[in-house]
Amino acid sequence: MTSVAERAQEIVSNYKGKEGVLIHVLQDIQGEFGYLPEEAVRVVSEELGISLAEIYGVASFYSRFYFVPRGKTIVRVCRGTACHVRGSGRVLGKLEEGLGLKSGETSPDLKFTLETVNCVGCCALAPVVVVNEKPQTVLNPDKVIATLKRSGNGGQD
Amino acid sequence: MEPVTIFLNGREVNGRPGMTILELAQQEGVYIPTLCHEPQLVSPGAACPSIGACRICIVEEERTGALLTACTVFITPGMEISTDSPRVLERRRSIIELMLASHPDSCLVCDKGNRCQLRRIAAELGVGRLGFQKVPQTATIKENNPFIKRDLSKCILCAKCIRVCQDLVVEGAVDYFRRGFATRPATFGDGPLEESECTFCGTCVALCPTGALMEAEPAYRGTTANVIRTTCPFCGCGCGLYVEVKDGRVVRTIPDKEDPVTRGTLCVKGSYGYDFIYSPDRLTAPLVKVDGEFREVSWDEALSLIAGEFNRIKAEHGGESLAVFGSSKCTNEENYLLQQFARCVLGTNNIDNGSRLYGAAGLHGSPETGGFFSTNSPLTALEEAEVILVIGADPTASAPLVGYAIKRTARCREAKLILVDPRETRLSLFAELQLRPRVGTDLALLNGLCKVVLDEDLADESVDREAADFAAFAESLAPYTPSHIEEVTGVSHQELRHAARLFAGAKRAAIVYGNGITQQVNGTGALKALSNLVLLTGNRAAVYALQKESNSQGACDMGALPDFLPGYYPVTDREARRRFRDYWGSLPGTPGLTFPETLREAKAGRIKGLYIVGEDPVSSFPDAGYVREALSAVGFLVVQDLFLTETAKLASVVLPAAGFAEKDGTFTNFEGRVNRLRKAVEPPGQSLPDWQILLHLAASMGHPLPYTSPREVREEIEKLVPLYAGIGYGTLEEPAPESGAPERGAGEAAVYRKHPGGTPRLAPVLNGAGPPKPHEAYPFVLLTGSNLYHFGGGTRTSRAPRLRKFSAAAYVSISEADARRLAVSEGDRVRIVSPAGEAAAVVKTTDTLPEGLVFMPFAIAVNPVSQLFSIVLDPERKSLLNKAVNVRIERIGSDG
Repeated sequence: MTSVAERAQEIVSNYKGKEGVLIHVLQDIQGEFGYLPEEAVRVVSEELGISLAEIYGVASFYSRFYFVPRGKTIVRVCRGTACHVRGSGRVLGKLEEGLGLKSGETSPDLKFTLETVNCVGCCALAPVVVVNEKPQTVLNPDKVIATLKRSGNGGQD
Repeated sequence: MEPVTIFLNGREVNGRPGMTILELAQQEGVYIPTLCHEPQLVSPGAACPSIGACRICIVEEERTGALLTACTVFITPGMEISTDSPRVLERRRSIIELMLASHPDSCLVCDKGNRCQLRRIAAELGVGRLGFQKVPQTATIKENNPFIKRDLSKCILCAKCIRVCQDLVVEGAVDYFRRGFATRPATFGDGPLEESECTFCGTCVALCPTGALMEAEPAYRGTTANVIRTTCPFCGCGCGLYVEVKDGRVVRTIPDKEDPVTRGTLCVKGSYGYDFIYSPDRLTAPLVKVDGEFREVSWDEALSLIAGEFNRIKAEHGGESLAVFGSSKCTNEENYLLQQFARCVLGTNNIDNGSRLYGAAGLHGSPETGGFFSTNSPLTALEEAEVILVIGADPTASAPLVGYAIKRTARCREAKLILVDPRETRLSLFAELQLRPRVGTDLALLNGLCKVVLDEDLADESVDREAADFAAFAESLAPYTPSHIEEVTGVSHQELRHAARLFAGAKRAAIVYGNGITQQVNGTGALKALSNLVLLTGNRAAVYALQKESNSQGACDMGALPDFLPGYYPVTDREARRRFRDYWGSLPGTPGLTFPETLREAKAGRIKGLYIVGEDPVSSFPDAGYVREALSAVGFLVVQDLFLTETAKLASVVLPAAGFAEKDGTFTNFEGRVNRLRKAVEPPGQSLPDWQILLHLAASMGHPLPYTSPREVREEIEKLVPLYAGIGYGTLEEPAPESGAPERGAGEAAVYRKHPGGTPRLAPVLNGAGPPKPHEAYPFVLLTGSNLYHFGGGTRTSRAPRLRKFSAAAYVSISEADARRLAVSEGDRVRIVSPAGEAAAVVKTTDTLPEGLVFMPFAIAVNPVSQLFSIVLDPERKSLLNKAVNVRIERIGSDG
């Protein structure tokens, strides 16, 4: 058994015998690995007696469960109305170009994930980019790209 | 209960409480369109009979103006329901228009054609031009299997495929994926079906209301008008299905939704394996071998040749020099005629049937048990069990319908499954507890369970502890202590105790066993030990003895056995013989030879004439060389089959027989259910149904049998065989007239033949010969078993193009540890050598096997696994023991 499967087994064992625990288990697994590795999901399926497709169905319903590995730094470009009006489309374009990623992609070295969100609820700051849960106004995307690339890990100034 | 009165379209009608509006409307003959409603998907006891996903069944409550989904709302007194008010029709049109807005405009070329329910309802509602902008859905997924093709752009999200996969078949290969507009049914990882758990049972394809799920390689793309209800010809489950006929050819099979056992499910063989009847290999004329070459002849010529030879042999050498081998794939009527032919025309009890190979033929007759612990309940009773013990069987492969029932009961009704199997199978995921004994130690394990039940005082009150046989029994168990069991079987004493407590604690238990017991060394003892366990726990378990073939049960019931007349009257019983003599004339009174014994006698030159109907022992029996030699030594061999099988190639005369869709008759499935087989199409060329050939042959021999149809045979069976009396067997309805669409069919009531009686008693069973001992030269134990996509020796499935395409190569499963030790990896070719022979196969590595155990299923195109066995009989039941053998594995490769 690999370490992923073993760790998944440990996580599931905390919930065994309880009803309605699937989402908690998936959250814990994502907390551990940053996404839902197939190997871990197979363990969950066997241990909880829930079919793989059903787990996939539940997880895919929620946009914050991921089936592919995620970058260390997650860059979310807000595409809500206010940000849109303030030019978030162009911000996204610049970031895509600068990071060499399309929206929704993760860099092969697992450093960055670029994605869009529909509104982060701080429209006064528009156009907003959230870098690892920290929202910031981005008037100059090039500067953000430079900062991201320089720090490479945290991505915060 | 007080009926509930409501107004339906202004008319006062009564329904029973708990009925939905839809059910009441259907009862009253009022039409409400439905798309997602499917009565057989409702698990009994569910709060609501439907899920209301499609909304097309909306009706109006006139008092409040509320629009209700008829399929999910229960009737309440005083309701005033309108099913066709302008408002209802307007809303239904909008619903259909919204569905069509994301549906491709491909009706003209869609294979679903007139079978499309979406199109039908749209037409009924007069939906014309769409008022909505079209937003196409995602397109086809690339699949690489010959069975099912998905085009999810046509999906209307009715969820039938998801529900049937999760609740009825319990594979759970698909579920809703994503949400909102992006929702669709998908497999894990949204990949192709062949990479998922899908077993291609085809149930979802049969239920899909649109063209989203379709046959990948359909024989015909249009709609057929001619649909005939018949029975699947493969395993012992005996699934009810409809065959669709176009221009005299079967082009499709559809599961029968109304059938109480089948419930609208089939397996891959029933859905996509029927087309072996159109193999170009079909025999179309009688063949006679002249100078080693087959020559086509007329029926008259073939029959007079056979009649002349059989009569001559009988006159010169006596009836005992003739033998007949009947088929567990032929109908009850045919087996009845065949044994009558053997006994009265040929004058011999040397008759046996193909289920000898799988042990079914040996299950009958132990005096005190009324047969060796055979099936005693209909399959529907399985789903009421609290504990299910599955031993020596992988029904998910060998009897899929039973597999579905077990999985349903374990998953949906939370029954506890105790699985006894050295391998991990699909059922392991559903098991509360799996015991993995060493191969061939089932008897010890079962005795160990009995011992725990006694020692922990779990035995039922009904067990008479004062009786003399109880003391003897209890004493016989003394050596089977948990620590001894742990040593012998490898099952820990904790697990043993856990299993015994679970089983003994159940008020209703069920036992399912299969060839893992009947073909195993000590199998007879294991069956007796199982019987003891049931008696001890007093839970009157429902017992299911799985049968390999469609009519294994019926062939035995009909007396195609050397020691029993129809209905299990011993041939030695003078009274019973008299009963039959009044109808048939004189019949011999000494038990005949089983087929393996016939082979032995043939090899010694004592069998001069042999008539084999619908069996291919050269391919299916162990030790093909021996079988070939024995059959070659028979002076005059007649083989009757669909194909020129390996056995037929040895024959002097080969007779062409009709396939399952080409004749009438009945099959009796493993639970004793009598199923109708109906003629849907004409047999090819000059081939004839087996029963007709038999009647012609008997007449040619100067001993005509007084029947002209299967019905007349049934009427006599009803009179002479008490198991089949009083169930309406003789007058089972005649072939249904060409009927309409199966979804409107009334289905067929299940008819069960009676179960043979018998009072089992507690009896000591001691270990006989031990399991195969590990041997230095043969360090592995090889287990054989069924494969979902293959059947028996593969005579038919290898000629079903789609089954063959999907899975043809012989493989051997090896545990990862053993594979490392042997330095082989997935896909390598290996040679497997047993003391009896050798076979080649491709390696599949797996984590489902313990070290030292390898698994090799019967394979579709060639059946090499039988080469590894020699013919060994269980002394008591005279069944073949070919479940496990010691082997060594050698790599075939670069370095030789």
